[in-house]
Amino acid sequence: MLTNYIKIAWKVLLRHPFYTFITLFGISLTLTVLMVLTSFLDHLFGSHYPETRRNRTLYIQHLLQMDSTRSSRQAGPMSFRFLTDYAKSMKTPERVTICSFFNSSNAYVGSHKIKLNTKFTDAEFWRVTEFEFLEGKPYNEQNIANSDNVAVITDDFKRQYFENTDESVIGKDVEIENIHYRVIGVVRGSSYTRLFTYADVYFPYTVPKSNYQDPGMRGNYVAMVLAKDKADLKPIQDEFQSNIGRIPLPGVQNGFKYAVLEVKSEPYVENFLSMILGGGPGLKTIFFGVIAFIMFMLMGLPAINLVNVNVSRIMERASEIGIRKAFGAPVRTLLWQFIVENIFITFIGGAIALVLTLIIIQLINRSGWIAYADLTINFSVFLVSILVCLVFGLLSGVAPALRMSKLNIADALKAN
Amino acid sequence: MIRHLFKLIWNKKKAHALLMVEIWASFMVLFGLTTLIVVNVRNYSQPLGFAYQNVWAIELNNNQDTMAVAEKAKAIFQRLKSYSDVESVSRMSNNFPFSANTMNNMVEHNKARTLAHQYVTDENFARTLAMPVLEGSWYRRADRVGKYKPVVINQKAREELFGDENPLGGIISDNFKVTGVVGNFKAKGEFMANQPAMFELLDEDSSWDKTMLVRVKPGTDAIFEARLVKDITSMANGWSVEVDHLTDSRQNQHNLTLVPVIIFLIISSFLLINVGLGLFGVLNLSIARRRGEIGLRRALGATGNGISTQFIGEIWVLATFGLLIGLLFAMQFPLLNVFDLEAGVYLTAIVMSVIVIYVIVTLCALFPSRQAAQIQPAVALHEE
Repeated sequence: MLTNYIKIAWKVLLRHPFYTFITLFGISLTLTVLMVLTSFLDHLFGSHYPETRRNRTLYIQHLLQMDSTRSSRQAGPMSFRFLTDYAKSMKTPERVTICSFFNSSNAYVGSHKIKLNTKFTDAEFWRVTEFEFLEGKPYNEQNIANSDNVAVITDDFKRQYFENTDESVIGKDVEIENIHYRVIGVVRGSSYTRLFTYADVYFPYTVPKSNYQDPGMRGNYVAMVLAKDKADLKPIQDEFQSNIGRIPLPGVQNGFKYAVLEVKSEPYVENFLSMILGGGPGLKTIFFGVIAFIMFMLMGLPAINLVNVNVSRIMERASEIGIRKAFGAPVRTLLWQFIVENIFITFIGGAIALVLTLIIIQLINRSGWIAYADLTINFSVFLVSILVCLVFGLLSGVAPALRMSKLNIADALKAN
Repeated sequence: MIRHLFKLIWNKKKAHALLMVEIWASFMVLFGLTTLIVVNVRNYSQPLGFAYQNVWAIELNNNQDTMAVAEKAKAIFQRLKSYSDVESVSRMSNNFPFSANTMNNMVEHNKARTLAHQYVTDENFARTLAMPVLEGSWYRRADRVGKYKPVVINQKAREELFGDENPLGGIISDNFKVTGVVGNFKAKGEFMANQPAMFELLDEDSSWDKTMLVRVKPGTDAIFEARLVKDITSMANGWSVEVDHLTDSRQNQHNLTLVPVIIFLIISSFLLINVGLGLFGVLNLSIARRRGEIGLRRALGATGNGISTQFIGEIWVLATFGLLIGLLFAMQFPLLNVFDLEAGVYLTAIVMSVIVIYVIVTLCALFPSRQAAQIQPAVALHEE
């Protein structure tokens, strides 16, 4: 039965190439946009190189201090000392790393200027993340204890700084802002959309200019907390909050009297959202509302368009419907047939969209628009697209099918 | 004729409801897009107010070094002035032009209040950015007398605070005395809205505000830049130095505005092409189905032109219905003053979207209606 419906659908498609083109254009285009979007969101939020364990990592990024009347506030990343006292001291997590957000800097080779971002990290950083070392190895606790001026660089920086890129650069010297560092490792770089791990040059936190001795609460450092498994996330959050609860309130920091102090350890998506929205549940609702509206428009407009075309075209098949009805086919069977047909067409559109998406993703990855972009259609992206395909097929199939089922047998046959 | 067309559409309102919804939705998408474009084009057409070419921003950070910070900053400033490649140097707060930092404060004069961007700069600022002073003069160190700090405001701040009054010598927020007025100052680049700005005299002995703006001679290259960084870091041990060319940071600011607009533009145009194609298909089919009616009208003496006008008229009426619903939504934006944009922006956007929708539906109806006009009455009626 199903194959029969599909055969009919195929014949209908071939009958009017122009309408087939309109239908497929709409479907494949919409699905392409949605798939590129999901793949971009997956790139942004999913567990990918080098944060491959993001699904069991908590991020601590933002410290908020407010006075008792809540009229003035200070907020931002934290100092190294604060994170050592309250995050690193936790018992439940597998590992905790403290690293700085990236700082911009410049390096000069002859008459050539290299813009670069530097990052100060501890030794645990290399165990929480899974960087691929092309050469050498990361710095360890020993390097940090000795205050060695060492650095781990990315392959991209190596290519820009050293002329002969085939040779190993381990043990060579890089000069940044008048300080010499010994290269100890070369990693494959990460994309700048991965805010916590992205940099061109990584330093141990004991090198000069890292400000890790800062006695205050706020600074330039953030922390990543790796749990043993997903179930541990909640206990870790609780432990962290109880650590924070030990801080006596109200207190004074650099002349600022604070009565409220908030730090959260959150999974990446929540952390990212609260960062761009500045917190507040109302804003989050608005954000999701806007996203939902855009998605609705993106899917709704082509779907309405398809319904329009389908409703008009169904009259072409009035005789077929009339005959089937006359021979006693119930409305439900006919409805089912049209929905199957629509889903079939949607899947053809979906296949075209898949190819288009692959091409677009390749273009984005190669264009350098996002450095080290690794947009992929992975299993989850593909599943989402299939789901979207189905919704789309139903959305554009049900209305014309209902319209058709109301068709009077006599009228339908007369129209022929 | 028009009443007749309205009646025709109204009688088949159920069949046309979806088409209207489609036109309404397209209008909403288009309205969003045109608003975004109108806002940005309007901003872009206003002059920037200063020259950024060959200007570098040198950001200094003293890190853990807390010894004689102000003295070192002063020494670095003097050093920068002594280079032969440097035309002019100015010291300012870290919200230099095109930077990611902003600082704004509520300021008032008499009863007028406005939120102004605040820049702490020295006496060389206007010269370094080649910024003309329209009224009065840029402050000098000698202008700091008594309890008032000398400030320069921009034209926008002057309008908001002083109106038609003479701003020179005026007191702002009981603290500042205006010495001059400059034109625009759009520190975040051409796409930024023209906003009020206030420049106040920098205190040389403060340990904050250590960003140096340097205007170099054209053609100065990275070799000089490397020497500059080396000299500064050897003068102030443990400090970090970052050199930003304003042309690069301007590009960054532009990308922040342009990339979302371009993505939105691409997606919207594909959506509209999609809608256009669909509309074309639907009209084509419905005209094919009305061959009998057309044949009859031709037989009764209607001209080919008359027939195609009728079809285009019908689609216009249909579009008008869709647009009226759309206008109900769109008019809320200027009425409720959403996003704090001028009503003119929304109205321009509405007019543009309406025109585009009419152009699209006309284009879609043109070919099918031309075909309808060519139907021979004999053939059409024979088929019937």
